[in-house]
Amino acid sequence: MRAYFAPVDRVHRQATLFDPSVNGRFSTNAPPAPWVDLGWIENFTRKSTSRFGELVTGTPGATQFQVRETVDATVALRFKAWSKLSMALAAGSQHMNLIAPAAGGAANGSGSKGVPPVNLTTGSTATFLALAASDAAGFPAGSLVTVDADYAGQTGFVGSGVYAAYVNSASAVNNDPDYIRRVSFNVARVAASSSTGLQLAQPLIAGAPAATMRVQPISGFVDREGGSFFQEWSALFVIDGQQGERILFHYPRLQSMAGPAEAATAMAPPLERLALSATFRALPVTDANDGEQIVCFRTFLPSPVTLI
Amino acid sequence: MQNAKDTFYIALRCRLATVNPARTMILRSVTRPGILVSEAEAPAPQPLLDAFALSWTGLQADLQMPAILAEMTCAIDYCTAGTQTNAGLDRGRALEEMDYEVLKLLYPYSTQKMNYTVSPAVAMETMVFWSEPEFGPVIALRDCLIRTAKVRVFAFQELGEQ
Repeated sequence: MRAYFAPVDRVHRQATLFDPSVNGRFSTNAPPAPWVDLGWIENFTRKSTSRFGELVTGTPGATQFQVRETVDATVALRFKAWSKLSMALAAGSQHMNLIAPAAGGAANGSGSKGVPPVNLTTGSTATFLALAASDAAGFPAGSLVTVDADYAGQTGFVGSGVYAAYVNSASAVNNDPDYIRRVSFNVARVAASSSTGLQLAQPLIAGAPAATMRVQPISGFVDREGGSFFQEWSALFVIDGQQGERILFHYPRLQSMAGPAEAATAMAPPLERLALSATFRALPVTDANDGEQIVCFRTFLPSPVTLI
Repeated sequence: MQNAKDTFYIALRCRLATVNPARTMILRSVTRPGILVSEAEAPAPQPLLDAFALSWTGLQADLQMPAILAEMTCAIDYCTAGTQTNAGLDRGRALEEMDYEVLKLLYPYSTQKMNYTVSPAVAMETMVFWSEPEFGPVIALRDCLIRTAKVRVFAFQELGEQ
């Protein structure tokens, strides 16, 4: 089964809706924008936890009507591949980028104060960061970068492309100008470095960067058991059948409901493969066709030979 | 997958030259470390004594990873009749020495994947890694003791790799 991610506009509470009538048959290796491939998943289990009530009348009592008291569902899965996205979604709370540390910074579990960021010059795209030659020289091919705006005292959701954290106050994040870059999903690996800038191995999730964004080197990622923020994402899961049929599960809003966990699968002693375990609660959206509150859409696209 | 197989063989050959420089063989008039790849040599009716012969047997692939993960089984066959000086009475000791060398050759359980089809060889992006050896029983054949150790070798198939 394949999984795909799309961001949720947390400010306006707008999920990314997948329309199977338009894109149901998309190539699994080239999902339609803005969906991002999360790779293969395993142990996918979904559970409806909606509660039903009965209206009993008569003597002896008999159920005459049913009512849906609550709409609720959970999804559990394992991401087979570790990445910024899969790790952040599985972890549930703020997911930190390990910014290259400045000299002499105090030790900290999610990374100490970072080296100063560098400015973009004109001409950057989603896959190319235009930098001064002296700045580009500091980012060799193969290195990782985070690209986002300076934190300037704003409160609320922060992060470009994907809302990565919620800031209650500037003091809560030490008024750190690097804070947004520390939690940002706008990260990439450098494929090549030249005197004009950095060619990225993958497009930035926020697209072409704004001129005000700045770049810092990162060495990896860290998540935490704890934290007050809930990542929220739009999810699409795809199963292709052997006869050409396809089943899609679309959860417009998923929030993690468990802390970071892993599951080990033995390969051959002493080798094990670690997958990222994740459990999510589905939150509702309104179906524009009839105004119903929905947490999941299941679509079946029959094969050419399926009797329906 | 050929790059992974080449890399595994060369890694073990280099390690053998360090672990036991005296374990050499003469093959096609060339003296070299006592390890060979069976499929890359002429078929032989008898196993070469006091040398390691690698044979690639099983193959599986995990297609549900960002790159294809190939899992190949490598059988390391070795055989000894002891030394002439001791009339072969030391063949048990000689086999134990080779068992120990297998353990030393395989550790650490990974190495940088290389492309040896070009000269000079080029380092690739990923690592080749493998399991601990699984030693088979000793088989006595006439004056020889034979053992096979099986290792599962893993490698990601890189972009553009054959």
